[in-house]
Amino acid sequence: MNRRSFVRRRPFSTLWLILLIALLGWIWQERVALWAFPDIISAYTAKEYCSCRYVMNNDAVYCRGYVKQWLPFSAFTDDPVSKQVMVSGIGRSNSAMWIGERQGCRLTP
Amino acid sequence: MFKGFSLLFMLLLSLTAHAENWPAEQWSTGPTLSGPAIQALETYAFPPRDESTRKGIRTDALLVIRDGQLIYERYAGPTTADTPHLTWSISKSLMAAVLGVAYGEGLFKLQDPALKFYPPLLTHPAITMADLLHWASGLDWQEDYEYAPLKSSVVAMLYTRGHHDMAAFTSDHAEYAQPGQAFRYSSGDSNLLAAALKNIVGPARYPDFPWTALFEPLGIRHAVWETDATGTFVASSYAYLTARDLARVGLLMARDGRWGDRQLLPKDWVAFNRQPFDRYRANQDEAVPGGHWWLNRAADSAAQPWPDAPADTFAALGHWGQAMYVIPSEHLVIVRYGDDRDGSYRHNELLKRARMAFTGKVQP
Repeated sequence: MNRRSFVRRRPFSTLWLILLIALLGWIWQERVALWAFPDIISAYTAKEYCSCRYVMNNDAVYCRGYVKQWLPFSAFTDDPVSKQVMVSGIGRSNSAMWIGERQGCRLTP
Repeated sequence: MFKGFSLLFMLLLSLTAHAENWPAEQWSTGPTLSGPAIQALETYAFPPRDESTRKGIRTDALLVIRDGQLIYERYAGPTTADTPHLTWSISKSLMAAVLGVAYGEGLFKLQDPALKFYPPLLTHPAITMADLLHWASGLDWQEDYEYAPLKSSVVAMLYTRGHHDMAAFTSDHAEYAQPGQAFRYSSGDSNLLAAALKNIVGPARYPDFPWTALFEPLGIRHAVWETDATGTFVASSYAYLTARDLARVGLLMARDGRWGDRQLLPKDWVAFNRQPFDRYRANQDEAVPGGHWWLNRAADSAAQPWPDAPADTFAALGHWGQAMYVIPSEHLVIVRYGDDRDGSYRHNELLKRARMAFTGKVQP
């Protein structure tokens, strides 16, 4: 049995195999970006909420709406004493903290 | 008697010609304006605000300075006169002004390689300070916020892989073009400038430099400028100023870098900011890049980006509708903060209506 006849006998399997190899290749090529991707939503929410609340001094309800994106987050804590904001979503957690009058907020660590 | 009178008249005339308004602790206010032209401006800038869909034009602040006096001011949403509002990419033009002070001290030249002040650029030794100011580093940067988050260099820089050290993240990018040869808008280029400034002024002066160099001389009391974990200012995105304070920078620029009797930014620096980058190609962006400011200039056979504003109009622009327009020929500075989540806001429309309201002029 040669390769050509396998393609003829199993055209759909062959197509799926090619697509799978292409997908794996793409995943390998984009591995760094893909690994970082799930952090975006929680890091964005933590940082921009912190700045909305403690730099721009807007109220908490407004800031929750301000950072709202199409993807939901699963946990959200805002400690007004330490001015630290922690957000979890898509399996990742990130926090941001108010540093000072001039420096505003920053993602931690 | 007649001769003496005309002399007095001449003196009075020259006095009024030289009388200039500058803000002290507060802006002095001009006459309160009203009428159909103001209404037309407000109809455009302040439509009913939709907090659930966040669609349409959502102006947070609109403030107009004419001849150094505050003549119009209105706030909406949560923003007030005391809110240090996020400026997003207006920060880039603010960094240009901060750099201008260091330039005036003779600490760097436009043709200096950025590598001289930021050693990690060893892999890109040909990039000059001017190239970074033109957003022409040649680095293969993807500036896209929400629509291509996986490929977006700016999202990765601000929130994931790059947020510890944004300049290092930027310099790790490959080159797609020779430095200085092509325009590609890049927040990374702006943060390389912020990192270079650290060695330009020295690490001891750096943490306070935006305040000592720019904000304090202008009487700006409540500016915030966030840094990354290495202490480098996020020049691309994270300066916060009240609308009134940002307008002070606008007045400085409208008057060629002069604040009162002090030439804070050298005139040739401001001229560089306002000089179109000659490698810019038509329609690459929403306005024509100068030296880290945006210009309303015809370029590369394309018409002016904002046809209803004079050709000397220039601006600092940021994400979600942040804008400061400077029109030196009409002595106008306009600050517009917003929270526009769609692309419906038009600079030209705002400028057209503002000029009708505050100068009574329509562009031919």
